[in-house]
Amino acid sequence: MAVICLAVIWPSNPCLAQTVELRVPTAVIAGSRATIATAGTGEATFYVIGPSHSVKRKVRLGQEIQLQPDEVRSAGRYLAILCLEVCQSADFYVTPGDAAGLSFLVHPSRVPVRQSESISGTVFPFDKFHNLLLAPVKVDFRLMAGDADLMSRSVTTQSGVAWFRTHSGKQAGSLQVVAVVKGLSVHRVVQQVASDPCDLRVRAQRTKKGISAETEPVRDCSGNPVPDGTIVSFSETDARGTSTVDAPIKQGVARAQMTASGPAVISAASGVVMGNELRLGAQP
Amino acid sequence: MPHLFAGSLFHRRLPVTAAIVCLCLFGLRIDRVAAGSLPQVELNANAAGPRAIENLTAQAISENYRHAWQNLSEALDSNSSHSLDLYFGGTARAQLGQALAEQERTGLRSRYLNQDHKLEAVFYAPEGDVMELHDTTQCEIQVLDGGKVIHDEQAVLHYVVLMTPAADRWVIRQLQAVHRF
Repeated sequence: MAVICLAVIWPSNPCLAQTVELRVPTAVIAGSRATIATAGTGEATFYVIGPSHSVKRKVRLGQEIQLQPDEVRSAGRYLAILCLEVCQSADFYVTPGDAAGLSFLVHPSRVPVRQSESISGTVFPFDKFHNLLLAPVKVDFRLMAGDADLMSRSVTTQSGVAWFRTHSGKQAGSLQVVAVVKGLSVHRVVQQVASDPCDLRVRAQRTKKGISAETEPVRDCSGNPVPDGTIVSFSETDARGTSTVDAPIKQGVARAQMTASGPAVISAASGVVMGNELRLGAQP
Repeated sequence: MPHLFAGSLFHRRLPVTAAIVCLCLFGLRIDRVAAGSLPQVELNANAAGPRAIENLTAQAISENYRHAWQNLSEALDSNSSHSLDLYFGGTARAQLGQALAEQERTGLRSRYLNQDHKLEAVFYAPEGDVMELHDTTQCEIQVLDGGKVIHDEQAVLHYVVLMTPAADRWVIRQLQAVHRF
């Protein structure tokens, strides 16, 4: 015990030969070879403890220790320990390699047209070992509807992330969202759908059974047909009160049959949009 | 008689003394275990963007991160991976599973004691589906080969962390140590 203490506090002690020394690399790229230098004489036990790999082997002091690419695939802190009678340790960091994959999150999957700041995308670039690239990387975002470019923007990652937020386009249909990093591209699709109906027009006529009402083709303010199944509420107000019929749009038009024999006011609404009012006289 | 009395007093005091000693030792043990197994986590959510972090989310992140590290230290100390599934997913879970298998293969164990995590949220996605945090951790790290401690250090470590919401908790999907932020 005393001998070990002397060796530690008095470097020129002859027992220094029993001590070991190791020099670790200053920078290692994930998946590349790394070399650790040792000093001293004899055989020692060498350890490396990394984020996903551990090494334990006997080494001859004074020789270089090679770490294979498989042993340093994960980015992070590696602790190298060399033990003879006492242990010496040193740490080094493995950094990610080149971008080999992108994690690209895009929201939402369906969006109404002409919505402000409604589409967002986030990119995390990773190397081939799934290490997050923390050095700045330029990401090119593109949004395309058909052949038309809706948006093109370059964003440099900060702390391993780049993101955008933008408006939806004017036309319903598929929106291609693309992120590109050094020739590596990832595609996502957002479905743009018609927004709320715009200028809802209704027409009605008396029939033998009462009143037949229908809308003109229902479109949003950009002219996109509102999807079938969207509910239109028809209201009929007469001396007895108000009655309402909900009807889904089929092939662009919603239809309803109402029973009223006296003078009546017909109106229609869909979502927050009100249509025109029609006044019908009593049944002849 | 006096010595008998003294003996009797001694015998009466012995269990009390022993109990006090035991309590002290037990207290130290509890202190040690508590320090080792219950990480301290402090979250600064002020700098996160573009989405603001709600108070309940901040609380959940702190709590889940603390449990994650508690489970991680227990796993690394015992080389048992079953507790990792609760708070780790994706790359982080795969790497830690591999790390445990490697430790088992080489006969090593690691201990992360007296953990103090200073977490800073640096990115919270617009739709709230992923958060990036920077963790500056102060802890004592021990590496054991069999029962022998071959490394013991007071370390300051920096981690880049990606967390995503799961059904009822936030899960660590990336845990990457860096030299500096």
